[in-house]
Amino acid sequence: MTVLDEATLERSPVVRPQVRVLVDRCAGCQECVIRCPAAALHMDTATWVAVADSDACVGCRQCVRTCPFSAITVEGPIVVAERHDPAQARPASLLGDVSEVRSGFGTWAEALAEAQRCLACPDPTCVRGCPAHNDIPAFIAAVRDRDLARAHEVLRATSVLPDVCARVCNQAAQCEGACTWSLAGGIPVAIGRLERFVADQLPVPPPSTLPRRGGDAGADVLSVGVVGAGPAGIGAAWELLEAGAEVTVYERDERPGGLLGWGIPDFTLPEEIAARPWRQLEAAGVDLRCGAEIRPEDLGALLAGHDAVVLANGAGEPLRLRVPGAELDGVVDATSFLRGAKAALEPGGSRQDLCSSLGLHLGHGSTPPLVLVLGAGNTAMDVARSAIRLGLRALCVDWLEERFALARPDELDEARREGVEVRFSRTLARLVGEGRVEQAFLSSTAQDRPEDRPKVLRLPPEVVDVGLVVMAMGYRNDPAFAAVAPGTPQRLEVDALPDRRWTASGVLAAPAAGAHRDPVGRLALRREQGLWAAAFAPRDRLFVAGDALIGPSTVVEAMAQGRRAAAALLSARPSRPGRPHAGGARRVLVCYESRGGRTARVATEIAAALADHDHSVRSLSIDRVGPLELANAHVVVVGTWVEGLVVARVGPAKATAAWLAGLPRLAGKTAGIFCTFSVAPRGTLPAVRRVLEAKGADVVAQAAFGPGELGTEPTSFGPAGFAAELASRLARDSVPAAPAVDRRA
Amino acid sequence: MAAIVQDEIAPLRDPLPASIRLRGPERAGLADRFAPTDPLPGAELTAHPRVARVVRSRKFQFLLILPNQIIFWTVIFVGLLGTAVPGLNFGAAITWYVWFCLVFVMMVVVGRAWCAMCPFGGFAEWVQRRSFFTRTQKALGLGRTFPEPLARVGFLIPVASFLVLTWIEEFFNIAGPGNPADTSWMVVGIVASALAFFLVFERRTFCRYVCPLTTLIGTVGSMGSVAGFRTRDREVCLTCRTKDCMRGGTDGFGCPWYTWPGSADSNFYCGLCSECYKACPEGNVGLFLHKPLTSVVAPRRRRADVAWGIALLWGLVLYQQLNATNAFAAAESWLDAHLGFPHYPNPIGYLGMIAVGALAFVAAAALIAKGVASPGVGSRPAVGSARPAVGSARPGRFLERTSRFRAFFVPMAYGLIPVMGADYFARQLPKFFQHAPRVVPAVADIAGLSSTRSPVYRLSIMTNGWIVVVQVAVVCLGALAAAWATWRITSNELVPISDHKVAVRVATVGVALACGAAAAVLYVLMHAAD
Repeated sequence: MTVLDEATLERSPVVRPQVRVLVDRCAGCQECVIRCPAAALHMDTATWVAVADSDACVGCRQCVRTCPFSAITVEGPIVVAERHDPAQARPASLLGDVSEVRSGFGTWAEALAEAQRCLACPDPTCVRGCPAHNDIPAFIAAVRDRDLARAHEVLRATSVLPDVCARVCNQAAQCEGACTWSLAGGIPVAIGRLERFVADQLPVPPPSTLPRRGGDAGADVLSVGVVGAGPAGIGAAWELLEAGAEVTVYERDERPGGLLGWGIPDFTLPEEIAARPWRQLEAAGVDLRCGAEIRPEDLGALLAGHDAVVLANGAGEPLRLRVPGAELDGVVDATSFLRGAKAALEPGGSRQDLCSSLGLHLGHGSTPPLVLVLGAGNTAMDVARSAIRLGLRALCVDWLEERFALARPDELDEARREGVEVRFSRTLARLVGEGRVEQAFLSSTAQDRPEDRPKVLRLPPEVVDVGLVVMAMGYRNDPAFAAVAPGTPQRLEVDALPDRRWTASGVLAAPAAGAHRDPVGRLALRREQGLWAAAFAPRDRLFVAGDALIGPSTVVEAMAQGRRAAAALLSARPSRPGRPHAGGARRVLVCYESRGGRTARVATEIAAALADHDHSVRSLSIDRVGPLELANAHVVVVGTWVEGLVVARVGPAKATAAWLAGLPRLAGKTAGIFCTFSVAPRGTLPAVRRVLEAKGADVVAQAAFGPGELGTEPTSFGPAGFAAELASRLARDSVPAAPAVDRRA
Repeated sequence: MAAIVQDEIAPLRDPLPASIRLRGPERAGLADRFAPTDPLPGAELTAHPRVARVVRSRKFQFLLILPNQIIFWTVIFVGLLGTAVPGLNFGAAITWYVWFCLVFVMMVVVGRAWCAMCPFGGFAEWVQRRSFFTRTQKALGLGRTFPEPLARVGFLIPVASFLVLTWIEEFFNIAGPGNPADTSWMVVGIVASALAFFLVFERRTFCRYVCPLTTLIGTVGSMGSVAGFRTRDREVCLTCRTKDCMRGGTDGFGCPWYTWPGSADSNFYCGLCSECYKACPEGNVGLFLHKPLTSVVAPRRRRADVAWGIALLWGLVLYQQLNATNAFAAAESWLDAHLGFPHYPNPIGYLGMIAVGALAFVAAAALIAKGVASPGVGSRPAVGSARPAVGSARPGRFLERTSRFRAFFVPMAYGLIPVMGADYFARQLPKFFQHAPRVVPAVADIAGLSSTRSPVYRLSIMTNGWIVVVQVAVVCLGALAAAWATWRITSNELVPISDHKVAVRVATVGVALACGAAAAVLYVLMHAAD
């Protein structure tokens, strides 16, 4: 697909994109009209079909992706100026050099030219692609207006790490992969570089804190412990601090930052950028306790001392090698290597000392030892590139095919340019050596599809002389924490029928370059699941975020989940045992599955009765209950009709059962259940109760309504009676005094 | 239920919606445009809980299709394996003596009721969805969209396939009925074609773009009293952000007929499958009734392909009348002798006669347009004018072009629907009245319990004389309905663009009545020939 700018078009006007609306199939739903970034579509009110203005069309094909009936075609080039990326830094020698490789826009002119490429799509797919849902069109508009403060304000609404994310995010699989230009087959707007420009030109503002009600140590101040000072911990602590909570962060290492501190080399993320968040958080009042490792058995004590805990301790268990020779000396994990390399490459560090400690000899004039890096993901690239800077040679091997590679495409290119050899479709068969590893035997592999496990081919192995083997195949969660945080780490899977608001945006319609394994829209949907999972506590007063929640992921996902967990926590108002309680309105969500309307009517009556007890009530059919509604509910009331044949297979309606099975963890939420039946409810209520209790909810009231209880007059046995019982239980277990959460709207 | 108590603490917010700044949908002229075609709220069938419950059930369409499925597979097997006597063979008898006539009754009363229960599309759809009735998320087949160049001629492809099928049926004397096995092969052919299309293309591409009956059912069905599935509140549809009725939702598939209840102004495109009703998360779709002929008279969006389709179908039904006259037999013999074609129907004569019938109507419309159109109707719009005036010439593809001729021809063709439909219906009556009782011995024959000596086999419902009377009456009724519809259409759409207000009314209504009169005369000449 060609890319043209306006100047080219003026010279050759015939090459404009041609939009055609198939009037036979156009139903006049206006999905294209309301989403066209160029306003090139409008309605012909005479025929009530969409009419296209090819002269205004820029060829982004948003209309093609969003038309429900495939009634629009666009042919021809996309009309957008060419993207100019700043040149990368290329020092004469990489030895010991940790200066940043990637450059940002150096001038306003460059940034403005790039900002002009943004179409400001009415339904911006880039925002869905961004794991934190940064309002990208809005911050780019602010850049266009040269208003950096506003740009920061926009970014702050969803991110506390714009400077970090701009440097470490894999934009090709996130915002830029979901840019409408990308989806149309073109070159996306350099969203990451524009975000970096904002952060580079005007420092990220510190957390804004307000005076706490009742003083710093007041009894009504929400006290939250955060375990882990990585990106998820930063996100959670920042959000909680700004809401006025008292935040204590427990970090196992001596330095905060987690992965940002030790896992990402300075040539990708400079130290001063990585350290910025904690510098600001500590200055704003976060109680940071480094060197404090929290084990699963410590969580009970932690929960006793805080109103709530956010578990954000990451997934730091490296995957171990299981081949002959794995026990030899000279086989280390990526974490150890990166920690050592970081220290060695810092001012005052010694490369020689590190190499000696690893058993490597750096001789003058001799060929440097080869570091075999197992894996070709981003961590492997960091290891290999650090090895080059230490004066070593590096070879990465990965059993995936290159087209399905997990590393950022730009990072892979950079590594190769720096001298890292990367071989795909290879796997380690065995290691050989006398006490210490000397040779590696590599087998060839084949893989047809990204979801396939590569097959090892029966070919003679390739033998490589190695000095060091670094395991960078990935990480996993500490299994001990799964016992204290049920359901973690969560497996994220896109439903067969995705959220139709996502479908309507067009982000699911096409794959994008860079996201080799999956179309970018499906990647984004999976991330969205993780984001919402953070809003639900797996156990009362315990929220989990980041890698601890979903396994190894990315900085931006962890940060966003930390913020989401904190926001859910603030909304839930938990309190530790012994804290003073006060009455107050609770948010009640009445969810029902109704077939003939009777269950819906009962749900409405219950909702009205609960509202009379001063609770804030919403009543929704289960197919309209999303994670947002569930996350915001303190009390969930579930109603269903009874399905079955009088005595056989009697239970909750199938739709209810399926919905219940798909519910997230509901720890800390109070629940009530009811059903409507014609003959007998039999095991319906116990079945619903079992599921809800297995999800962690506290079921405090239940009722079955037969024809007798559903007369025209309200009775104490009817819906009003059920609501009264539920309300009395809520009053007994009343909520604590509202903590200091003077949260901005 | 709205929040009743103000929260003390702000709830969790989803940042995503804040970044979505959709343009407002176009609403200009919306109320005026749809007011004439929107059914009254009181005419909603699904307002009755029992009806709603039936229609909401995923088994609704399955149970409509199932009996027909059983009947038509029986037709296939009995036609191939049963007796060769057409009148005793269940396959031939049920198809040609009863089914076609009943389908017409359903069309005239309900619209696309047959489409909702059609065993051909229904069978293929079961395969495509990999399910009899449950909502599945993954379809079998390639899921392609119908090629745009073909889709651009709209309903003309199904008209062409109807003409071809009718010619084949006449050539092999399938509907005579002749050899019952031929009927079976024809049904097998339709099922196989449907299956192939359903496996290659998405939704009901076959039913929408290929099925030989779709244009006939759509046009004749637009006389019916069922408005189809429509929106209850158009504003809800306009602001709907998911369009589950089009894309498919949790409980329903996306509309297989490419119809959006939010803009439906006719029952022409509604297959009555109820998927939109099931899919709508807002419960904003209902099944409505409307007055007969509303979908003929009221819609603002008229289509040239449908108009040409009506003209061709009119030509075809005239051909089917003429071919029963002595004069036609003589002309056909002369043509066969000179062209060396073996027997009836000579393709040149077949297509020629259809063209003559269609073009006679087209010529009448063109003459009226030339005689009464206001100056300016047909001139090109000013450069830069995005929205041309009604009737002004607009360059574009077949469906999009407008001209003075089309401004008159297209509405007039819609006005012809009642007489055209009545003519087709009347054409089926002889077979029904003369032979429908044969279905009883044909059913008994499956068990080997009947013969042509059965008194029921020789039973007729009506004598030929009375059949002619009924045929003429049906056509006269159709002609009157066509005259009324044409009068209304002319008043609404043609009078504003005509210089001679009275003349245009007289001329258009006159054409409709003349068509009815021609058909009635032909029925007298045919004398109940089947």
